[in-house]
Amino acid sequence: MIQIFHVTKYYERRPALTDVNLQIEKGEFVLLMGPSGAGKTTLLKLLYCATPLDEGQILIQGRNVARLKPSAVPYLRRTMGVVFQDFKLLPKKSVYDNVALPLLVQGLPAFETRRKVMEALKAVGVDHRKESRPAMLSAGEQQRVCIARSIVNSPIILLADEPTGNMDAELAREIVELFKTINARGTTVLVATHNRQVIEQVGRRVVTLDQGKVVSDEGKGL
Amino acid sequence: MKRLIHFVREAVANIRLNRTTTLIAVATTAFTLACFGVFLLLYLNLRSMATSLQSDLKVVVYVKDGTPPPGVSDLQALLKADPGVQALAYVSKEQALADFRAQFPEESHLLQGLGDNPLPASFIITLAPAYRSPDAVRRWADRLKSAPGVEQVQYSRDWIDNLNTIVGYLELAAVGIGTVLSAASVTIIASTIRLTLFARRDEIEIMRLIGATGSFIKIPYLIEGAMLGVMGGAVSLAMLRGGFELFNARLGMPGRFLGIDSGFHFFSGQVAAMILVAGLLLGFVGSVVSVLDLGRAKS
Repeated sequence: MIQIFHVTKYYERRPALTDVNLQIEKGEFVLLMGPSGAGKTTLLKLLYCATPLDEGQILIQGRNVARLKPSAVPYLRRTMGVVFQDFKLLPKKSVYDNVALPLLVQGLPAFETRRKVMEALKAVGVDHRKESRPAMLSAGEQQRVCIARSIVNSPIILLADEPTGNMDAELAREIVELFKTINARGTTVLVATHNRQVIEQVGRRVVTLDQGKVVSDEGKGL
Repeated sequence: MKRLIHFVREAVANIRLNRTTTLIAVATTAFTLACFGVFLLLYLNLRSMATSLQSDLKVVVYVKDGTPPPGVSDLQALLKADPGVQALAYVSKEQALADFRAQFPEESHLLQGLGDNPLPASFIITLAPAYRSPDAVRRWADRLKSAPGVEQVQYSRDWIDNLNTIVGYLELAAVGIGTVLSAASVTIIASTIRLTLFARRDEIEIMRLIGATGSFIKIPYLIEGAMLGVMGGAVSLAMLRGGFELFNARLGMPGRFLGIDSGFHFFSGQVAAMILVAGLLLGFVGSVVSVLDLGRAKS
């Protein structure tokens, strides 16, 4: 599903990732661990083409990300759901419109959009806030809306960057359960976190990064 | 269809959100088109006046004194056969004298001292439409001067030539000023859209990250530019109409006395629609210019 070969990424000549190799199979749930500045976010950004690759190769479903034409990038992104650390919700749009956006860009019919958005909102438990603007929601609710937007188009890969940051333990547990449910439906899930509680709760493969290098890869095949 | 509704809704939302910049862009486009419109209005009216004067143009062919009646008949036959002549009327010497006396009764004594009737016979000719342009009239008159029995060919050439020169200059001025002001308008609309893009850069980034294509992001801004342009065009038409009515009112009685008021007309529906389309194009081009930057920025 995701193949990463000898990937190196520099930010102003300083390496953020160095010679990273990783293979993630279809339907796997992988936790990307490591302290702040380890390169977790950079690796996720490379996967959803938010930053260019400097060295190495990344293949997603057999497609070489480095060789994608700019016009093909949006179509690759549509196969993924991304949960951003800072949520990235459109502040002037309602919760419903935010979640509907990935379907709108794909040109789905209105009735189907309505059904899928309501399903996603119910799945994360914020369907009662669908008319609200993001600014009226708590951080936890905004995170849920962001997750709803990432799963609304039934992606084959879900990438989440620190999805439980700034959350209390109970809320973090709920979010992780949500990811487990999404993964159980066949979606490949890659979650970047430095929260030990998440690792214990998930109990699956854990890849640890430190200073841009993979220092351990435990629980492969779990 | 759903996408189209989304694009239009986004464009309208942008216009509402950025009221000040919208107002500046609309006002600039309106001013640009109004300046251009003043020249267009003058040009169209003077051109129509020139055309109307040309259609009223009468050429007088004076017959040499002492030409025998067969010579006059030959000249009449020659004129009738000429493709440039649409209609002709013969004015005999006696008729010319009678007309002079009727028109200037107080000056009729001036002719008494000159013995016999000094006024020549003439043909008053209405030229065919194809022969009414200044050059064509001149060529036709020069050709006829050498015909037997012709003393002189006369028409109010200078006046018409001058009017046509003015119309020509107005045409040049309208094109020149229109081009400069259009460039200014495109620049200002482009800046307005660029400000909108800058204000919404985070939203644009989010749209990209969830898989929106470049065209999906850009189209609302193109529609917004076109809308601003049409709004500017409509405001300019309103300004021109107001100015035109004021001009007509100021012209008032003296103008009516001189017969000027009947000559000036506002734009026809077709020209007004063309001004709106010009506004739309200015706005569209302005937004294309700014959206090109967006394309270059990042995919």
